[in-house]
Amino acid sequence: MTLAPERNASRGPTATGAPGQVPARTRVGAYPWAMAGAVALSVAGAAISLNGVLRGWAWYLPILTTVVVVCLTIATLRALRAHPLVVAAGGFASLIAILTLTFFRSTGIAGFIPSGATLAEVDRFVRRASETVLAESAPVAPNAGIVMVSCAALGLTVILIDALAVPLGMPATTGLGLLAILIVPATVKPQSVGVWGFTATAAGYLLILAFSQWFAPDSRTAADSGRNPGQFRRAMLTGTVALVATLAVPAAIPGFDHGTFPQGSRLNPWGAGTGLNPMITLGNSLRAPAGSGRITYATNAAGPLYLRSVTVDNFDGESWGPDDRDAERRPVAGQLETGHDIVAEEQLRQVTAVDTGTFTSPYLPLPYAPETIRGLNGAWTWDPATLAVKGSNTNTRTQQYIVVSTAPKLTATLLQQSSQAVQGIPADFTRVPGNVPDIVRSTADTVTASSDTPFAKAMAIQKYLRSGEFTYSLQSPVQGGYDGNGLSVLADFLTQKSGYCIHYSSAMAVMARLEGIPSRIAVGYAPGRSTGSTVSVAGQGALPEYEVDARDAHAWPELYFQGLGWVPFEPTPSRGVIPAYATETSTSGIPGSLGNNDDLLPGATAPTPTPSATAVPLPGAGGGAGDLGQLLLPWLLGTAAALGLVFLAASPRLVRVGRRVRRLRTEGRAREDVIPLAWAEIRDLGTDYGLPPDSSETARTYSARLRHSSLLGEHGGMDDAAHQAIRSLTSDFERRHYGPPVQDTAGRGRTGAIAPRIAAVQHSLRANASLPRRLRADWLPPSVLGRWAWLLAAPFRGLNRLARRTAKAAARSWSRARGGLFRPRGSQ
Amino acid sequence: MDSHRRTAVNEVTPASRNFTAVTEQVGHLNGHKAAAMDTEAFHAASQRILASINTVIDGKADAARLALTVLLAQGHLLLEDVPGVGKTLLAKTLARSIDCTVSRIQFTPDLLPSDVTGVSIYNQASRLFEFRPGAVFANIVIGDEINRASAKTQSALLECMEEHQVTVDGDSYKLDEPFMVVATQNPIEMEGTYPLPEAQRDRFMARISMGYPDKDSEIEMLETHQATSPLAKVSAVVNAADVAAMIATVQQVYVSQAVKEYTVSVGRATRESPLLRLGASPRSMLQLLRAAKATAALDGRDFVLPDDVVSVAESVLAHRIILDRKAAGAGETPHSVIQSILSRLPVNQDPVNNPARSSAPPAGLRRNH
Repeated sequence: MTLAPERNASRGPTATGAPGQVPARTRVGAYPWAMAGAVALSVAGAAISLNGVLRGWAWYLPILTTVVVVCLTIATLRALRAHPLVVAAGGFASLIAILTLTFFRSTGIAGFIPSGATLAEVDRFVRRASETVLAESAPVAPNAGIVMVSCAALGLTVILIDALAVPLGMPATTGLGLLAILIVPATVKPQSVGVWGFTATAAGYLLILAFSQWFAPDSRTAADSGRNPGQFRRAMLTGTVALVATLAVPAAIPGFDHGTFPQGSRLNPWGAGTGLNPMITLGNSLRAPAGSGRITYATNAAGPLYLRSVTVDNFDGESWGPDDRDAERRPVAGQLETGHDIVAEEQLRQVTAVDTGTFTSPYLPLPYAPETIRGLNGAWTWDPATLAVKGSNTNTRTQQYIVVSTAPKLTATLLQQSSQAVQGIPADFTRVPGNVPDIVRSTADTVTASSDTPFAKAMAIQKYLRSGEFTYSLQSPVQGGYDGNGLSVLADFLTQKSGYCIHYSSAMAVMARLEGIPSRIAVGYAPGRSTGSTVSVAGQGALPEYEVDARDAHAWPELYFQGLGWVPFEPTPSRGVIPAYATETSTSGIPGSLGNNDDLLPGATAPTPTPSATAVPLPGAGGGAGDLGQLLLPWLLGTAAALGLVFLAASPRLVRVGRRVRRLRTEGRAREDVIPLAWAEIRDLGTDYGLPPDSSETARTYSARLRHSSLLGEHGGMDDAAHQAIRSLTSDFERRHYGPPVQDTAGRGRTGAIAPRIAAVQHSLRANASLPRRLRADWLPPSVLGRWAWLLAAPFRGLNRLARRTAKAAARSWSRARGGLFRPRGSQ
Repeated sequence: MDSHRRTAVNEVTPASRNFTAVTEQVGHLNGHKAAAMDTEAFHAASQRILASINTVIDGKADAARLALTVLLAQGHLLLEDVPGVGKTLLAKTLARSIDCTVSRIQFTPDLLPSDVTGVSIYNQASRLFEFRPGAVFANIVIGDEINRASAKTQSALLECMEEHQVTVDGDSYKLDEPFMVVATQNPIEMEGTYPLPEAQRDRFMARISMGYPDKDSEIEMLETHQATSPLAKVSAVVNAADVAAMIATVQQVYVSQAVKEYTVSVGRATRESPLLRLGASPRSMLQLLRAAKATAALDGRDFVLPDDVVSVAESVLAHRIILDRKAAGAGETPHSVIQSILSRLPVNQDPVNNPARSSAPPAGLRRNH
């Protein structure tokens, strides 16, 4: 019997979400465009995260163009119902065309068809890209080679993702292609993928999944919700396991939550023998959450020392690195000599016993200036120009050695007097690099304008860098795209005025050179902390022990003063210790630069307070009203945020309640006019309590569904009033909406009061709902949220309509063109 | 011609009565429109008819209701099913429950159009051609196995159905009101038959497949109908004038703008559906709305709901639409396509599009997913 279809039967309370039985094949028109949009979003979003691997943003436009062009080509071909292989081939052809147009326009035929000359060009580009990959460290300069390779890779990824998602019907696997893009920044960048890149990728991926589901071009990707009642539970289980793993794994493996996997860098932090640049790994060491590569040392010096590994003195080129001067190195045996005369009256002689532990590097950390080193294993060489000691076939792992170092006792007066012309040091340390950015030169000139002696100039530069204008930050260079070193980075640093020791030290070193002071950057460790224990060293008795680890990695400038040798300075705020001679009495009150220095004060257990540390003011010394404000501000902000949250949480509820009150208001309105609003209220109530009306449902069917569901409780029992109310409201609505117009006021008497009936329905719904559903209906009513989502999605629906119309028009014009092409001529 | 003529009390058979009288009677019926019944009387009359049918045919209340709906909506009914499920019985019972003229035509390949419509015969006595009305001159005409007759004969009947008149030798003769053709058709055993073309199927308001009764009804049928023919017990419960009044009542059922829009959107959806080669015609929209009005009246309402349209849509539309070849290959049926169209078509429940109303603020945004 097929007549009078009882639509209730097919739509019981349990089958509310089930889609129609007929497969949706009516929307083929929009599907390719939507899918291509999702693919483009995900890949272009993943490409956002490459910022930091590639410097700046200039590379993004070509990548975006490539992705969009390939996606559009694929979508167009698919809208024309081309064979899947043709679609992939078309995507590939468009990739080649857009790459040629972008990078090889001059050699290509008509600008976008590659020619023989183009292939030679490609070869050159690829070689350049591979050089970049091998030689440079992230962020690399976006030269044409690396950008072209990136574009090609992303374009191929688009084709791959599209092929996986549509013809092969495996949309979930497209995640692999996206992961392949994301893994690059995840391993290279210190702060990993980044929020925006990840969000856009995830959004695109979800859209790919959703479109495969919604449009369901074939049965393979259609949901089988009917057969899988446990789907929700399984999804919950999988999600929970993934969440727990995400939370537990980083807790079990320290440092897992940062980009570069510090596990690897702990085993091999400075890349023994790989020739990696310590200037670059330093930033990563600083950002490592857990200190690795712990070094302990005991010294008879008055306090903890700077340990220096290597110096950087060549400021030419894109990226600076240590110059090993292998030809001039001498084996470590006996005395190490500075090679220049020290005329200071008093020389400090310090004995330091160092235990490198797991710290691995080709460069030996030593206090300056080492004279003798005893106890080393393996062959080591030293550079007479810098006194940097390097293992020729060994590294620092598990080395224990005793260093005797000498340094002149420096005072400000001595340095002030040293104004003789510099002589007797290699030109490497005095050569001013070419193409110094204007900002560096002008800053140096401005800062030192009123200083006459080299020492005064050095002090002026240090004072400038330690001033309140600059902030110490490990993250902002990464975010600003100027992490690393080099003259362009330096210019960025002086503009942004935020960075860490690499930037401060190189700024001071370059500026000093510009002012005629020989300079170099020392890379090593800041003084570190006392361990509280002592180590007995032969001939010295028990010496206090200190420790440093990767987080103390540091760089500082060394400036040469005639007759005094290389003198370290400390321009980096909040790191290290300002040497006594470089502490200006007039500037000793620089606030804010010492926030991190308290780890230099070992507290009550410190054997001897550092004399230099006493010269700087203790944090908090300038307390008072400002501090009170500082204390109150977070409270105020917190309260405001909490209030805001409460308001936000309440607002859907407020909107919902407001709407109900407005609907049921009777004054100034005929009762007949309230009926449709009351019916809308019933629909919203049903939506709130988990039974939303279907757009194809009539009032009668929805009312019947509501009454037969468990939401209203048993008919005839305590909830009979609600059943009656819904029934009468339904018939009132039907009469009002579909019935003949009421001519007189007599008809109005028939409808009872609206509000009590609505209240009865609401009461019954509340009484029969579970607590979570009740809370949701109260605080996050789906009727309001759904309407908001509908409003939010309005622009996207417009785009969808537009895309569909475009596709239809394109298909029509194409078929017309084809018809014109193949129509037999001369038939008349 | 196997014409079964039921002679009613104080009624003349079409063959024997004077033809001028017939035309007068028709003119009388048409000239004075029957007054509409009030709701109670309508309800009582319809309940009597349905009860009468249900005593004969067990477990087919829906089919009986639809047959009555078609009668009240002034349409024609096509019963299509395998032999022996009660097609002819339904038609006969409906006819007997109403005190009106009934004729039954058994369609055979050699049946001629004049057998249906009537023929002019030369009267030797009056020396004039006299029109002898055919079997179609009755209130209810039962056309058994209509697909067995030749296309010519079929179209003769179909013209009567559409025009409610017969044209022979250039003269037109009006048919009695109410006039309803109940045709039966056997979907299997198609050899030597002339299946109704689409254009002629379109003339029938609704097509019903009877279907087999359920188990209990079948057992009951065996028990009650062993000895006597069930038809013998049936007597007329309403007369033709009552039916005319009921039809007038149905005609006065109010159709709101919203329902008209919904009906039209149903039709447009069938025309735009990619599963269909041929969608519903505008005539079918009219018949759909008429059937919905009758349904509403049978339900005791004086206005049509979208639910009424939905409830008759399948029966009214399924025999008029033609499936796309691919859709048919994919296992779709006209019924499944109409069901899916109805399950997606949004029903506008906001009072904004109702010009008959005073302007009320919109109840909310329309949710069309």
